[in-house]
Amino acid sequence: MQRIRSVGMMVAAIALLCSLMVGPLLGQARAQEQVELRVWDQFTVPEESAVADAIYAAFTEANPNVTIVREAFSTEQMRDTVNTAISSGSGPDVIFYDAGPGYAGVLADAGFLLPLTDYAAEYGWDERVSPPALEATSLNGVLFGMPLQTDLIGMYANKTLLDQEGLTVPTTLDEMVAFCGAAAEKGYIPIAFANNPGWSAFHQFSMTANQNIGPEAMRDLLVNKNGRWDTPELTEAISAYFETMRDAGCFSPDVNAIPYDDGTAIFYTGQALLNTTGSWIAGEIATNMPDQEVVFVPFPLIKDGNESTWISGVGSAYYINAATEHPDEAAAFVDSLFSQGAVEQWLGEAKYFVPVEFDASAIEIDPVTAQIVTVLQEAGDSGAQFGYNIDVMAPPAFNEMMQNGFQAMLNGDKTAEQQAADLQAAWEEGMPAADATPTS
Amino acid sequence: MSAQPTAFAAPRVSPTQRWWNRYRAGIFFVLPAMLLYLIFVGYPFIQTIYFSLTDWNGVRPTKNFIGLANYQEMIRDPLLWTSLRNNVTWVIVGTVAPMAIGLLLAMLLWRQPRGFNLFRTIFFMPQVLSAVVIGIIWSWIYNPIFGNLNKLLKAIGLGDFARGWLGDPSVALYAILVAAIWAEVGFVFVVFLAGLQNVSKDLLEAATIDGANSWQRFKDVTVPQLSNVINVVTALLLIGGFNVFDIVFVMTGGGPANATEVIATLTYKEAFTQNRVGYASALSLVMTVVALVASVAFIRLREQREG
Repeated sequence: MQRIRSVGMMVAAIALLCSLMVGPLLGQARAQEQVELRVWDQFTVPEESAVADAIYAAFTEANPNVTIVREAFSTEQMRDTVNTAISSGSGPDVIFYDAGPGYAGVLADAGFLLPLTDYAAEYGWDERVSPPALEATSLNGVLFGMPLQTDLIGMYANKTLLDQEGLTVPTTLDEMVAFCGAAAEKGYIPIAFANNPGWSAFHQFSMTANQNIGPEAMRDLLVNKNGRWDTPELTEAISAYFETMRDAGCFSPDVNAIPYDDGTAIFYTGQALLNTTGSWIAGEIATNMPDQEVVFVPFPLIKDGNESTWISGVGSAYYINAATEHPDEAAAFVDSLFSQGAVEQWLGEAKYFVPVEFDASAIEIDPVTAQIVTVLQEAGDSGAQFGYNIDVMAPPAFNEMMQNGFQAMLNGDKTAEQQAADLQAAWEEGMPAADATPTS
Repeated sequence: MSAQPTAFAAPRVSPTQRWWNRYRAGIFFVLPAMLLYLIFVGYPFIQTIYFSLTDWNGVRPTKNFIGLANYQEMIRDPLLWTSLRNNVTWVIVGTVAPMAIGLLLAMLLWRQPRGFNLFRTIFFMPQVLSAVVIGIIWSWIYNPIFGNLNKLLKAIGLGDFARGWLGDPSVALYAILVAAIWAEVGFVFVVFLAGLQNVSKDLLEAATIDGANSWQRFKDVTVPQLSNVINVVTALLLIGGFNVFDIVFVMTGGGPANATEVIATLTYKEAFTQNRVGYASALSLVMTVVALVASVAFIRLREQREG
């Protein structure tokens, strides 16, 4: 009996030892399991594509068991394809997609995107990423996306040409009207505003609207749905850009016929003195205007008592497919895109303003990009609030009305009052579908 | 001696068996194509009808049945009527102009004058370009800043006519139509040129001897012999006119202020921008029905006139 007991004890001890050894071995085997991550992104511009390739390659080098299969889509292609692909279950593991409620918001609302709350805690994203950027990629307080691209919208001025012509950067609407007259007299197009197919008008309205009611009220309107679009303040904001400045000859009378890229081109070539657009052209300014001094400033004050307001918004973010078989690897991959090394490449080479804390001194950047980084970092340090880029937080019906309504105004076929009323109607129409509007 | 009749009955074959024996080979030949058609046309078509009766946003797993609500909304949607009006304009101008120009060019080259091959290649060349490329080329031509059209107008003293062609709601649709006609003429020209090879020269000579002038020979002898070609070309242009999308999308995206919106661009926006696949399905069905009715009506009308 004694013998049987000792044999049993021995077997139990061996079993225990085996289990202790097999556990780590199994874990190791799992860690070495070959994983293929399919990643869809929107980096079709060669420079951006090269940066993405390099950053993805750095991740696979550090994680040799992971293979990245990357497919790049243009923005339009992505919008046409991603919903069907994800909802049919054949989509990629990781998607770099527009953060708006009409885009990733729809997928999150339908349950096709993986909530990232746990991974945010694990990787410390909550502390590293700017809260407004995280808010823009959250739905009902749940984080779904890691925002890669923060845009800053304001006004570029060709300081070299302004000095040469004895002009100064306008700081108020009255000064702007006077500036437009003087610039036109000297043979320039005052502002390189180009509105074909119509989305660049969204940013002009964002600048005047945020300034006139203040960022906090705009947040209340966009996020909490408190407020209206047909108030006198917002009607005045519409009128300032699309009536007053139109009538002052601030942009080409053919503004609706000029494609956005051609608008920026007339600024680069010195045919226009100002350009009211976003930080995404900073890199192109450095390339195309090496001999010109360009400054980036907030839009002029349209009435007394207003405060100078920068506009900011999240362009696109990385999301993880809820149906992925490799959520941990996908999350690790996403995390790697926001490391100091990756951010240096995104900013230094692709001019992507990543909304994370990073050491900018390590990056060699051009003066305009440096201005933008300074504005973003100072706001992060001081807690200053940016205005909201309206279109990335509004429902699609509202954006459609902005596009068509502002084009009609620029053609002189619509008044500011009509447009404000139509925007309110479109907002109400879009509200049922705006469940997917990011809210915190 | 009476001969006993021999009973020699042929084996009985049922009508079904006879039908099967007769058509079996044909059915096997048609079956692959039929299957492909059912999978890639029939099934999606039925699905589209189903979607048009729902409020599906293209992503959510649930599709709520809402009956004919999409169709009721469509009737009240001013954008649908704007788009339909633009489509009708497109169909009329985009059918008549290429037909007229294509036929004229085909008549000019019918006798194969010197340089025939060169001209034929030049006229047909736009047809080999995709609508996207054509859209981009013409967008450059129309560009108000560096476009050649405005430069040309200014150079010949017609600077008052220079404008932002694609930004002016009153001319934008026609500006796109010019680009589309330029591209379409090559196809019409080649088809007419092929059709003209079958026109009887004897009849034309007889008409000449009978004293018919050029216009009468063209109208009463040549055109009637081209009637089948005209039918085919017109039907294709009509259907193409109702389905037009790519060139409009590339050049204006339906703008400015919906001035160039056509049903296909509206359908695209509803489906992919507004995430309203149910409503977009209803729109696409209406477009299909309108194109079908217009084409069938035209062909019947032609047949009646000829009959």
